Amino acid sequence: MTTAASNSPAPKLVKRPGPLRTLNRAVDERFHTQRALRENLNKVFPDHWSFMIGEIALYSFIVLLLTGVYLTLFFDPSNVEIVYDGSYVPLKGVEMSRAYASTLDISFDTRAGLVFRQIHHWAALLFVAAIVVHLFRVFFTGAYRKPREINWVIGVGLLVLAMLEGFAGYSLPDDLLSGTGLRIASSIAQSIPVIGTWASFLVFNGEWPGENFLPRLYVVHILLVPGILLALIGAHLGILWHQKHTDFPGPGKTEDNVVGHRVFPVFAVKSGGFFMMVFAMLALLGGLAQINPIWAFGPYDPSKVSSASQPDWYIGFLDGSTRLMPPWEFRGLGHTVAAVFWPTVILPGILFTLLALWPWLEAKFTGDRDSHNLLQRPREAPTRTAIGAMAISFYLVLLISGGNDVIAKTFSISLNAMTWAGRIGLIIVPPIAYKVTKEICIALNKRDEEREHHGIETGIIRQLPTGEFVEDHRPKPEPVPDHPLVPTHRFELSPVGAAHGDGAGGRGGLATRARKAVTGFFVEEKGKGEH
Amino acid sequence: MSAHDENPPAQGGAGGGSVFDRVKRPAGGGGEGAGGGGPEALGTPPAPTDSSQLPEHTSWQQTGVAHRPPRAEDVDRRAERRAERLIAFWFFVSVVGTVLFIVVNFVGDKHEPYYTPLLGTGMGLALAGLGIGMILWAKRLMPHEQAVQDRHPFRSTDEETAVLEEEVALGWKDMGLGRHKVLRRSLLGAGTVLGGLLVVPLLNLTNAKPGKKLDHTHWVKGARMVTGEGRLVKMGDLAIGAIETVFPSVPHVNANGETEWPTHVDLHTKADSATILIRLEPGIDKPRPGREDWGIDGLVAYSKICTHAGCPVSLYEQQTHHLLCPCHQSVFDVPDGCRAIFGPASRSLPQLAIGVDDEGYLIARDGDYTEPIGPAFWERS
Repeated sequence: MTTAASNSPAPKLVKRPGPLRTLNRAVDERFHTQRALRENLNKVFPDHWSFMIGEIALYSFIVLLLTGVYLTLFFDPSNVEIVYDGSYVPLKGVEMSRAYASTLDISFDTRAGLVFRQIHHWAALLFVAAIVVHLFRVFFTGAYRKPREINWVIGVGLLVLAMLEGFAGYSLPDDLLSGTGLRIASSIAQSIPVIGTWASFLVFNGEWPGENFLPRLYVVHILLVPGILLALIGAHLGILWHQKHTDFPGPGKTEDNVVGHRVFPVFAVKSGGFFMMVFAMLALLGGLAQINPIWAFGPYDPSKVSSASQPDWYIGFLDGSTRLMPPWEFRGLGHTVAAVFWPTVILPGILFTLLALWPWLEAKFTGDRDSHNLLQRPREAPTRTAIGAMAISFYLVLLISGGNDVIAKTFSISLNAMTWAGRIGLIIVPPIAYKVTKEICIALNKRDEEREHHGIETGIIRQLPTGEFVEDHRPKPEPVPDHPLVPTHRFELSPVGAAHGDGAGGRGGLATRARKAVTGFFVEEKGKGEH
Repeated sequence: MSAHDENPPAQGGAGGGSVFDRVKRPAGGGGEGAGGGGPEALGTPPAPTDSSQLPEHTSWQQTGVAHRPPRAEDVDRRAERRAERLIAFWFFVSVVGTVLFIVVNFVGDKHEPYYTPLLGTGMGLALAGLGIGMILWAKRLMPHEQAVQDRHPFRSTDEETAVLEEEVALGWKDMGLGRHKVLRRSLLGAGTVLGGLLVVPLLNLTNAKPGKKLDHTHWVKGARMVTGEGRLVKMGDLAIGAIETVFPSVPHVNANGETEWPTHVDLHTKADSATILIRLEPGIDKPRPGREDWGIDGLVAYSKICTHAGCPVSLYEQQTHHLLCPCHQSVFDVPDGCRAIFGPASRSLPQLAIGVDDEGYLIARDGDYTEPIGPAFWERS
C-alpha cells in the first residue's frame, strides 16, 4: 500500500499545488490549521433580519476606526490659544484653541477632511443607536438567557463605553457646544460626595476649565476607550462564535442545532456586502447631511452658551433626567450634595446595574435556569416584554425631556408645563406601558392558541339546519421554511450518522468522511480546473 | 502520516454526486509522498483513528424542510447570465464612484459647496456598488443552502471536572498558603501596600489640589468691570432693562508706576468670574436684608455661573425679569435676589456688591462674592 503512489501509472494526478495551497500547507505545517479552519469556515450562522443589527454596530465601529485614524492625522488636541487665520472668513482673527482651529482646518482646508469628519460623527451616532436596538432585540427575544449571560454583561459594558467614547469625541473640537457639555461633566464629577472635588480636579487638572485638558481627553478618546472597546468587542464576538448564535424556532430547528448558511461562502459574501452597505450609507450621510457644524457654534467661552444646547442623542436621556430633577440639594454638617448628583450619577448607575444583572434577575424570578438556544417571540414572555416596554417608555420620557426646550419653542408650549409633564410622565407612563404591553401579549397569545385549536377564520358564514349561523374555520397551515433546499448531493460531505456502513466510504465511519472532506475541500476545484 | 497508510483506501464517495466523486484520486489509494515540497500526489486522505477528534460537525440535511421551486438562475442559463450582468453592472457603479471620489478629491476645489457632497456621493457609490453587487451575487448565484450544525452542551463531564478540581486542590496545597501563616499574611500585606502604586500616579494627574480654590473667584476689591470685548463699563453705560456680561479687570502697576486696567480676559477668569450686570427699572428690586446698598441706581450684579451645573445663565426675559439657564432650564428671579424659582437649581445666584470709583467706572466694591459661585461640591457648607 505504501508504494501505491510511486508505482502509480497515472502521472496526470501528480501535480504541483497552486500558490494558495502551497501557502495553506506551509501555514499548516507550522500551526496545524486544517481542522480548525474547516470547522470555522463551515460554521453555520442562522438567517434573520434582526441578527443584522449587531452587525451594523460592528461595522459602524470599523468605520469609526478607519475615519478616526484619518482625523488623527490632522487634528491637534491642544489647549494653546491662537488667533485663527484659516479660510473660514467669519472666524478670522478670533482667539481660539488649536484644537478648535485644527477642527476648522479639517473642515475647510483639508482634502476630504469634512466628509471624513462627518462620516465619523454619523458613524458614532449609528454605533450607539445600533447597540441600543441590538440590545432591544436581544432582550425581547430572551437571547441573553443561559449560557449567554456573560455576553449580555459585556454588551452592557460596550453600550456604556460607546456613550463615553462618543461624549469624549464630540467634546474634542473645543467648540462652544462641546465645552458646555464638558462644563456640565465637571459639575457632575464635582457633585459626587466625598471624592467629587478631587475627582473633578484630577480629571480636568485643576479648577474648571483646567490646564491642558484636551490632550488628556484625546488619549482617552483615541487610545484608552477604543482599546477597551476593541478588546470587549473581540470577547463579545469570540463568545458568540464559541457559543454559536441563537435562532428562532422553525422547521428543522431544535435546541441542539443551528440552521442557516455556512460562513464560507455565502455568509462571508453577504456579510461583506452588508459592511459595504453600512459604510456606503454613512458615506452618503457624511457627504450630504451636515452634522455638528462646529464653525457655527464658535470657540468655547465659559461665559457664553447658545440656547437649545443639545448633546448628541445618546446623552440626551441624562440631559432629560437632569432637567426633570426637582431642586433637591442637600446641605448640612458642613457638606453639600448637589441636585445634579441624583439624575446623572445615581440614576444611570441604577439603570445600568439593573440592565447588567437582568439575566440573573429574570432567572431568579422565573426559576428558569436552563440553557436556551432557541429564541422566544416577545409575546411568549409577557412579563419580560412588559418590563422592557416599561423601561423603554421611562427612557423615552427622559429623552424627550432632554429636548423639552426645543419642543416647547417649536410647539409654543410653556417650558414649565413641559417640565412638569416630564416629571409626572416619568412616574405614570411606565406603569401604563407595562400594563398595556402585558395585556397585548396575553391577547396575542390567546389568539394564537385559538388559531391552533380552531383554525383560521375563512369568512364563510353558514346557516345550520337549526337556524344558527356559524363561520367556517380551516386549520392553520404548517410553517414553511425560510429557504428552499438545494439538491442535497452538492453538500453531502458528511451526512449525519445516516450513511454508516453503506458504501465502501463508510468503512472508516464519520471521522473518515470528515477527514476526507478536509482534503476534498481543497482538491475539488483544482481537479476540475486541470482536467 | 505513513502510519495511517495501512488503512485500506476508501473507494468512491458518500453517494452519487458527492464532491468526493468529483475528487480525482489515484486508483491505488494514498501515497507516501504527501507533505513534501515538490510535486505531490493528492491521494486518499489518511483515515483518522480517533473519531472523537472532530467535535464540530456540519452537515446538510433534508429532514423537516419543505422544497421550494428553484430560482430562475438555477434552471435558466439566460437568467443566470442576466443576474451576472446585473452584478457586474453594480461592480461597475462602484468603479465609477471610486473614480468620482478620486477626481473630486484631487481636481475639485475644496472651498466650493459641491466638494464634500460629491466626495460623499462618490464614496457612497463606490461602497454601495460593491455591497449591492456582493449581496446580489450571494442571493442570485450562490446556492441557497440549509446547512445544519450540531450544538454541543458546554458542561464538561463530571470526570473532567473532578480531575481538574483535584489537581488544582493539590496544587493549592503545594503552594502552602494554608500552612504558612506568615507567608500568607505578608503576601496579603505586600499586595495591599502595592495598591499605593495605583493611587500615586492617579494623584499626579493634577498639580493643583482643590484646597479652597472653588470658594474664590478672580474678583478683588476695586476691580473694574470689563466686557468680553474689552470695554470697561461705566455708570450709565447700561440703559434700563439692559444686561451685560462683565469680568474683573484687576489693576496692576506697570514699570512706569502707572496703574493699568487690563482688558483681556483669560479663560479661567471667564470660567468662574463671569458676572451678569442688569439694570432693573427703578423700584423693582427687592434687595435681601443687609444687601440694600449692593446695587447702584437699579444696577445689580450676580454671578453668571448657574448654581446647578455651571452653565452660563444667559437668557434674560426683560418683561418678567427672569434669568433662564439654557442647559437645564433653571429660572432665577432677578428682583428677588436671583432666587431659583423653577428647574433643578436650588440656590440663588450669588450677588456681587458693586460700586463706582473716582473715574466713574463700575467696580467690585467689597471684593469677591461672599459665597462660592457655581455648582455645589462636597466641601461647600
